[in-house]
Formats: sequence, structure tokens, C-alpha cells
Amino acid sequence: MLELFLYFGLLSLLAVGGVSSIMPEMQRIVVESRGWVNAAEFTQLFAISQAAPGPNVLICSLIGWKLAGISGALVALAGICGPAALLAWWIGGVWERFRDAPWRILVQRALQPVSIGFVIAGGYVIATPEGLDWRNALIAAASAATLYATRVSPLRILAAGGAAGWLLFR
Amino acid sequence: MTPTPPRSVREVFLGFLSIGARSFGGVLPWAHRVLVEERNWLARADFLDVLALCQFLPGPNIANMAVVLGRRWFGLPGAAAGFLGLMALPFVWVLALAALYADWAAQPGVRAVVSGIGIAGGGLFLGTALKLGVPLARKPAAVAIIAACFVAVGLLRISLLVVLPAAVVLALASARRRWV
Repeated sequence: MLELFLYFGLLSLLAVGGVSSIMPEMQRIVVESRGWVNAAEFTQLFAISQAAPGPNVLICSLIGWKLAGISGALVALAGICGPAALLAWWIGGVWERFRDAPWRILVQRALQPVSIGFVIAGGYVIATPEGLDWRNALIAAASAATLYATRVSPLRILAAGGAAGWLLFR
Repeated sequence: MTPTPPRSVREVFLGFLSIGARSFGGVLPWAHRVLVEERNWLARADFLDVLALCQFLPGPNIANMAVVLGRRWFGLPGAAAGFLGLMALPFVWVLALAALYADWAAQPGVRAVVSGIGIAGGGLFLGTALKLGVPLARKPAAVAIIAACFVAVGLLRISLLVVLPAAVVLALASARRRWV
């Protein structure tokens, strides 16, 4: 339980650009290094956290729940949100004070490509739980293209992904 | 219309509760809808400014946003109200969904559908990255940094503990030379 809290607390401070950017690292720790869940379970927990409304950080509470029930879920959520929330509290105050400072604008510009690269890596890892093949490439590419090029609701895109899974993976 | 901030901590809680309650397929669009369009607590430009900060901070973006905005409006009670409001309902629902799923997981059909949803979710990340990345596409250094981060983390699975500091140093150096 303590281990869970500490690992997620550490991940919390690495999650620049949101939780998506630490998905590969979380997968590495949770699946490959600690063996808390297996790779297929990890993708399914991610799918549940995507299907439910709310921040996808809730995948952490699902992993905690798998390990130790409700208390595990709460501990995991506190771990992944706590340190980042404290940092946000502190930096939020500083940010309001240095609204127009040049260093602030510089840092913001620098971090943009880094966080985009991490988001792409996160999407790739989630979409290829058992390695890249034509089926997951097709679903992920169609989903990405639809989100990018149309105004179709993400909810419908996820539903279409579910339908495609039914056709391709049964 | 000039934005009017929430008048009480309770309003902050209820506002973020309504974001969390409806945030199918991603929280960000709903946060914008509630904070800017429905409740008119923030101007659009102000929303973008706070979002930029929260994307650069580690942790879930909108949860950070709840903390930063809650602090601005009502200090610690506001930050706590925003954060808990945002998380409360999604936390209950995701566990309920997972509990239901445990009973059905043995069904190959259910597994297939859930796998498909998960992969499509990964695709949504890629689509979002595409949207965010378009303004940077004309800057070769930015594209190179994006590609390097993807290869290091996504394909080679190198730990973020190594990649993040290296990427930040590289990106700051590029930003100082106005390459990104």
C-alpha cells in the first residue's frame, strides 16, 4: 500500500502534460517491474477509465482497487493527485504574480513539443497492448483521424472503437 | 459579457461536480463549457492561460485547474472544493463500471469490445496530439523534439526519469535560440 502510494506519488510529479504522458512509465512500473496487473488487464483498466466520465487519472484508482479494494483505490488516487495538486497550489500562486514575465513565456514554449511527444507515446502504448498489428493500427488511426478532422463527439468515437473491437477481436 | 467569479465555495464545488459528472470522452471540453460558457466564471483567454499553466505542471490537467482556480477564488477551501467536486462522481462511476466489468470479463465478446474502446482511447490521444501539434509543425526543431520524445518513451520505453530532464534541457536550449 505504501509502495503503491510512493510509486504513484513519484509518477504524479513526472506527469507533465497530463496523465497520458506517464502511461508508458506507469505501464512499465505497474506491469513490467511490479507485476501488479498484466498487460492485457492494464489496457482493459485503461479502457474502463476511458469509458467512464472523468479524468483518465482514474486508471490509478482502478489499479489500486485491483490490489487492495476501495482503500487501495483511494490511496492510489491520493498518490497520483496529491503531490501534483500541492505543486499546482504553490506554482499557481507564483504564476498569478509573474503573469507577463519573459522566463514564463520561454518555459511555456519549450515544454510544448516535449509534452506533445509524450502524449503521442502514451497513445501508442495504450493502442498496442500486445504489439502493433493491423487491427489496433486501424482502430487507433481511424479514431485519431476522426477526432482531428471532424466534430464527432469523442463518446461516439469510443463507441465505434468498441464496435470495431467486437468485429475484429472476438 | 464580463465574467463573474463564483460567489461561494459551494458554487465552486457544484460547478466542478457538474464538469466531472458529464465528462465522457475527456474532461477538458466540459471544463471549458461549464467554466466559460455555462457559468461565465472565466473569460476564454483567461481559461487558456490557466490551462497552459496546468499543462506544464505535472498531474491531471483539469484537477490542477480546479486547484489553481479554487485558490484564486477562495483560497484553500476553494481549491479543496474544486478538486473534490471534480473527482467525486467519476471516482464512484469508474469503480462501479469496473465491478460490473469483473462479472462480464470472461465473455470474449465483452473483452473484445473493451479492447476496442481502449485502442480507440489511445487513438484519441494521438488525435489530440495532432491538434496540439499543428502550430508547431512548421518548426523543424519542435518536430524533432516531439519525435525524439515519442521514440524514447513510446518505442524504446526508456524511463521518464531519464527522458524528461534531457528533453527539458534540449527544449529550453532550443527555445532560447527561438527554434521552437
